[in-house]
Amino acid sequence: MSDSPVSMHTPGNEPTDEAPNAADPAQQKQMEQAYAQMKRKMSMAEIGRKIKHKIMVLSGKGGVGKSTVSTGLAVALAQQGHKVGILDIDITGPNVPKMMGLDGRKLHVEGGRIHPAQGHLGVKVISMAFLLEDEDTPVVWRGPIKLGAIQQFIGDVEWGELDYLIIDFPPGTSDEPLTVAQSLPDIDGMVIVTTPQDVALLDSRKSISFASSLKVPVLGVVENMSGYTIHGKGTPGSTVEIAAPAGRTLSAVCDEEGKFNITLDIFKEGGGRSTAEEFGVPFLGALPFDPGFVRGGDDGVHRIVSEPDGASAIAFAKVVSSVQSQLAQGSGSSLEII
Amino acid sequence: MAEEILELRKLERRDNDMELTYEDGTSFVVTYDDLRHACPCAKCSPLRNEDEMSMQLRRTVEAYPKQKPMVQTVGNYAISFEWATGCSSGIYRFERIWDLAHRNDPDRGRPYVHGAW
Ligand SMILES: Nc1ncnc2c1ncn2[C@@H]1O[C@H](COP(=O)(O)OP(=O)(O)OP(=O)(O)O)[C@@H](O)[C@H]1O
Ligand SMILES: [Mg+2]
Repeated sequence: MSDSPVSMHTPGNEPTDEAPNAADPAQQKQMEQAYAQMKRKMSMAEIGRKIKHKIMVLSGKGGVGKSTVSTGLAVALAQQGHKVGILDIDITGPNVPKMMGLDGRKLHVEGGRIHPAQGHLGVKVISMAFLLEDEDTPVVWRGPIKLGAIQQFIGDVEWGELDYLIIDFPPGTSDEPLTVAQSLPDIDGMVIVTTPQDVALLDSRKSISFASSLKVPVLGVVENMSGYTIHGKGTPGSTVEIAAPAGRTLSAVCDEEGKFNITLDIFKEGGGRSTAEEFGVPFLGALPFDPGFVRGGDDGVHRIVSEPDGASAIAFAKVVSSVQSQLAQGSGSSLEII
Repeated sequence: MAEEILELRKLERRDNDMELTYEDGTSFVVTYDDLRHACPCAKCSPLRNEDEMSMQLRRTVEAYPKQKPMVQTVGNYAISFEWATGCSSGIYRFERIWDLAHRNDPDRGRPYVHGAW
């Protein structure tokens, strides 16, 4: 980068061991590392300015639907005409590319910068998956190497101007969110995804406490896979009974056309809302259990794209608007604390 | 909590209490003891379910040395307090602060149930 205040080294131009007056190679190496670090810090600050909103998506437990929610948020925001990016930081199971129809892409590096791939509706995607030789061999980096890679992913990506950057994490309260929160300035907040079962909720509570230790605000809790609605037909006016989980019997009356629908709470109902209330954080909405999410994830066409007027898309729209109203409310900065 | 609350504009920390000023200029005083007794965290909340334990919690917070907390806004919906001693985990929604200012029960008479179903 020619506008860099330090002009001693352009990556790839100068073999390190031929630099004049290098006191010793170790020292030289240290200086270079410090320089790279500084350059990265500067570009992170610039990225911070160019991206209006940065949202982290986390969960305590794995498999609750973070990546589904991340990609859904991204696509829904792009549908509204926003410029959107997704950063998939999951090293062991990065599945955002698949969900965004970008399976098998490799990292695109040009002029020393990493360029995102573009998925549906122009959503820009950067994923740890782009580093993998093949999908079935996950990267097993640990500790500092992993965190260094994440920093590099944040600092060296050429996002351009974005209205929203959604960051999808691996499950749990690990080092990744901490690294991101420390590297990327002005994160608007985190969305916590949970399913309505005790174990997932317990873990979400951990995520909420974790959020406050990261000093990143919680935008709210999304309850995923909350209920599965079955639709069917019977004799008009007759009552249909269904054996539901936990030994309960659910019933519905068929309407004049014989149609009925019943919502089964596969896990339990309302846990996301009560967890949100317990911790005094906003509840952003519930997404139904919908096998279409699984199909969409597998063939790279998100549910809200394949069925834009379906129940899931409508539920998603509610979540998106709750997130936006959280962002719009400003940062509480009008409060003077003396 | 459908009731509209006003926007909190100023929070002045004093030795034993804080003065809260809302957008319409009205101000209220909430003592640190009341504030801390109403901590919404998952450890303190269950202690208010029963009168006996609640009184015990009250005595505990009253016994802490009086000290000004560090105050921080949390997102745009809440504030948190960091104390030199005792529990600092509670995130107080502005509604909760409003209730304390207006001497309403911030728990709205609802017992705390872990997991809440
Ligand atoms: N509301 C839903 N209804 C039905 N299936 C869903 C729903 N949400 C997610 N799924 C499916 O559940 C699986 C896990 O979802 P997803 O990959 O989004 O979870 P995750 O939290 O990102 O997982 P990980 O912790 O592995 O990163 C996927 O197959 C996805 O299609
Ligand atoms: Mg995932």
